[in-house]
Amino acid sequence: MATSSLGSAAAHRTRPTGWVFRAVVSAHVVAIVGQPVFAGVYLTGDFDSLRWHAVGADVVTSIGYLQVIAAIIVWARLRQAWPFLTTTAVVAAETVQYFAGLDGALWLHLPLGVMTVAALVVQFIAVWRQPLLRRPRAHREARDA
Amino acid sequence: MREHDEGRSGPAHGLTRRRVLGIGGALGLVAATGLSTAAALARRPSITGAELRSAVPLPPPFQVPLPIPPVLKPVSTEGGTDRYEITQREASAEILPGVRTPLWTYEGTFPGPTIESRRGRPVTVTHRNELPVPTVVHLHGGRTPAASDGYPTDLVLPEDWHDTTTHTGHGSEHGMHDPRAVVTELTRDYTFPLDQRPTLLWYHDHRMDFTAPAIWRGLAGLHIVRDDTEDALGLPAGPRELPLMIADRAFAADGSLAYPALDPTLRERPGVHEPHFAGVLGDVILVNGAPWPVHEVDTARYRLRILNASNARHYELEAVTDDGRRLDLVQVGADQGLLAAPITHQALPIAPAERYDVIIDFSGLPVGSRVGLVNRLGSGRTRDVMAFRIARHATDDSRVPRTLSTDLPTWRRTDAVSVRDFSFRAGRMRGGHGWLVGGLPFDPARTDVTTRLGDVEVWRLVADVHHPIHLHLVGFLVLSRSGRPPLPHDAGLKDTISLRPGEAAEIITRFDGYRGRYLFHCHNAEHEDMAMMANVEII
Repeated sequence: MATSSLGSAAAHRTRPTGWVFRAVVSAHVVAIVGQPVFAGVYLTGDFDSLRWHAVGADVVTSIGYLQVIAAIIVWARLRQAWPFLTTTAVVAAETVQYFAGLDGALWLHLPLGVMTVAALVVQFIAVWRQPLLRRPRAHREARDA
Repeated sequence: MREHDEGRSGPAHGLTRRRVLGIGGALGLVAATGLSTAAALARRPSITGAELRSAVPLPPPFQVPLPIPPVLKPVSTEGGTDRYEITQREASAEILPGVRTPLWTYEGTFPGPTIESRRGRPVTVTHRNELPVPTVVHLHGGRTPAASDGYPTDLVLPEDWHDTTTHTGHGSEHGMHDPRAVVTELTRDYTFPLDQRPTLLWYHDHRMDFTAPAIWRGLAGLHIVRDDTEDALGLPAGPRELPLMIADRAFAADGSLAYPALDPTLRERPGVHEPHFAGVLGDVILVNGAPWPVHEVDTARYRLRILNASNARHYELEAVTDDGRRLDLVQVGADQGLLAAPITHQALPIAPAERYDVIIDFSGLPVGSRVGLVNRLGSGRTRDVMAFRIARHATDDSRVPRTLSTDLPTWRRTDAVSVRDFSFRAGRMRGGHGWLVGGLPFDPARTDVTTRLGDVEVWRLVADVHHPIHLHLVGFLVLSRSGRPPLPHDAGLKDTISLRPGEAAEIITRFDGYRGRYLFHCHNAEHEDMAMMANVEII
């Protein structure tokens, strides 16, 4: 993994805050992958799967809001803004997705669902491919300059 | 490798900010393009089916007076039974002004003649088939013994039908056969006990594989059941009770009804051309067989007995005055008769084969003004349905009682001995497209559901696109829609429920009345012809 290439010093390890964020993102991915599964089974005529799809929607959306909180903490403690920005986008999409589903607006519900899953997968890769480090102030200023 | 090196030289997360923004921007653009394409291409409101365009000029709306189908006179009323005779024959009519349209008819008219009957007084109709194809009559919503229910293979053959391999299955070339079919030649007696709640029924052709084009060509008529209790309610009656059979059609250049049949003779090969696989929609809206008609009314309440006899078109009806005000549509009855209490709607969705019994009040409207019956799901010419012109002031002694009926069934979930799930969706059948129930195409020789006479069951129906699901023999109550409470128009006893794309419904019913083989099916007539039917055996 990329983690090893970045050295083993304590400063280069993922902090507890980072681990929490990774855990929430991982749970989010697991939960959201269940949604197309239930939808597909429902459309074969399995009525109960609609209820699981609805429960899944509640779970996914709830994890989404937890992820927003985790991302705010990451931002505050690790000075990394991208987890918050991408999470906000994903959660906004999920909220629209939730109501599109309730309204039966399938033209929106289906493509947005696929895109939300894809976005979360990208986020999953992003949080696991390297440690979530506290961004050193100097580094940031140097780059921003 | 260069990517990696470049990444490592960059800030904490291995990619340059420029590259992150580039990738993010590209994905965002793809997502936005995808969603706006979906928004642009989607049918909103969603519609299942494809519209045929008429090749003749269409008349302006609200010119033709609303015809009322003639009431058929019985040939005999002896022995406690009303006997009727109906000849199914070819005829032509001037549906569009100045255009002759050949039709298949019951008794030479479209719609066919209306049969007026009383609850519990049996009716026998002798149908004589003088059409060029086999036919079979089903009384939709009738509580009818299986032998008279018009099973799709119980054909009445015309005189010169020399086909030894009579169509008794979807695609007879595959040799599907129904050993239980009762085929007669030329005539058949259908006996309807009519031991059921008073309501508006309709009769139509139900021939295997060819129901949709037969109805399209004109084989449909109304059948009303009444009783003393309903008569005593004081609802608008006589000329203030209007049957409205709404149906869309399209016209070919020669004035005939256009229909995309693979076999225009409707003798051999069933099915429609691929673009119309999901259903055939017309661009002309007929009410009682007249295009966008107008009806002169008093400033009084009217009782509208609305039937959607279209093959595939759904409507969402609203009544709009000249100044854009919406009149209340007060529903008093559903498919299977009176509600417990009236329900006021602003707009009323109606799927193929559904019926609504609706009171509309024209009192207080200025004489000379007009009320349009509008279809909110339509566009262009299909947005208009018909109009009422306020012709004169009048007194009105009708009323809409707060309690309409007290005899609705009270089945509860706990009464159900079985809960069954059915999917209604598109799929593959015998190497082509079809419409399936529970993953299977219709087979008359297969029993899909076996139930005991008197059993209460809960059925859970799931749809991929619009499917109006109809059960023969029984009425049902709607328990839920997509896990939520039923919609206002789901009230009362129904025999057809409209499922919208991705929607599910739970219904509860009691299989009583008669034993035997009955159908349940999608009443999108094209879906029905493409195998979306299944059998219930009541033992």
